[in-house]
Amino acid sequence: MIRARPLFIWLARIAVAAVFLGACIAKIRDPEAFALATHRYRLLPGELVNAVAILLPWLELTCGVALLAGPRRARAAAAFLLAGMLLVFTGAISLNLLRGIEASCGCFTTRADAAVSDGWNLLRNGALIWLSAMIFLNAWRAPARSKTS
Amino acid sequence: MNPAGSRLPLRQAAQLALDSTILLAIAGLLGGLVNTLRPEATRLPWVSDWDRHIETLAFRAGIPVTFLQGARQRVGDAATAILDARSEDEYAAGHLPRALSLPVAEADRRILDYAHRLTPDTPILVYCGGADCDDALELAKRLREFGFRDLTLYPGGLAEWRDYGGDVLAGAPP
Repeated sequence: MIRARPLFIWLARIAVAAVFLGACIAKIRDPEAFALATHRYRLLPGELVNAVAILLPWLELTCGVALLAGPRRARAAAAFLLAGMLLVFTGAISLNLLRGIEASCGCFTTRADAAVSDGWNLLRNGALIWLSAMIFLNAWRAPARSKTS
Repeated sequence: MNPAGSRLPLRQAAQLALDSTILLAIAGLLGGLVNTLRPEATRLPWVSDWDRHIETLAFRAGIPVTFLQGARQRVGDAATAILDARSEDEYAAGHLPRALSLPVAEADRRILDYAHRLTPDTPILVYCGGADCDDALELAKRLREFGFRDLTLYPGGLAEWRDYGGDVLAGAPP
C-alpha cells in the first residue's frame, strides 16, 4: 500500500524543484536582462543589483538539485533557503503592487514582453512557500522521529 | 525533562545553518565561476552604475514607467496620446502607431500644435529611441511642467517595440 504522506512530500519535492530549475534557466542565459528585472523592483541598492543577478539563479539551481537528489540534510537546507527566497520575492512583488510599480516578476522569463506581476504571482508563491515548508518540516523532523521510534 | 531531546533542535539548527551555508557557497562559486568564464559580451560586471539608468532617473523624477505590455495596451487605447520625443527626421523614419511627433528640443513651441487634442488629464505615453536615450524622460518632465498629469514613460522605446515585432509606421508628421 502506498502511504499518502511520503508520496505527497515526494511530489512536492519534484514540483518545487522543477519550478526553480525552470526558473533559473532564462536568468543564467541572460544575466544582463535579469539584472534589469532585479533593478526594476527598486528595492536593492544599485551596487548589489548585479551581484544578485549573478548569484541568485545559481542558488535556485543548487537548491533545486539538492531538493531533488540531495540527502535529507541537504533537502532540509534547500527547502529552508527556497522558502526564505520565496518570502523575499513575495514581499518584493507585494511592495511593487502597493506602490503601483508596473513590472514583470522576472521569475521565469527575462523577456521584455513578460506579463506584469499581479495577484496570481502572490498566490503561486504562497503555494510554493507552503510546499517548501512541508518539505522542510518533513526533513527536519525525520531524525526526531527516528530517535523516538 | 529530557536533556538529550532538548539538545536535538539546537544541534539540528546548527546543522541547518551549516548546510545552508554550504549550499550558498556552492551557488556563489558556480555563479562567480560561470560569470568569469563567459564571453566578454555577455559577462555581467559585479557592479554597474544603475543610478544613471533611465528608469532610475524616471523613478526619482516621479514619472511612472511602463514596459512592452503596458505600451501595447496604451497604443491600442485611443484615449491615450502617444508622443515621440525624437527629432522629426527620426519620427519620419519609423514611429509607433498613432504616435505624434513632439521633439523634446521643440516642445515649448510645438506643444501648442496639440492643444486641441491634449488636456491636462489626457493619458500620455512618451518614448524615444530606446533605453539609451533620455529625450522621452526630458519631454515627460517638460510636459509635467506644462500641467499634464497622466504621464507614463516607455523606456524600451522604438528599439524594443521593433525587436518584439510591433508595427512601425513611417512618414513625416502631419
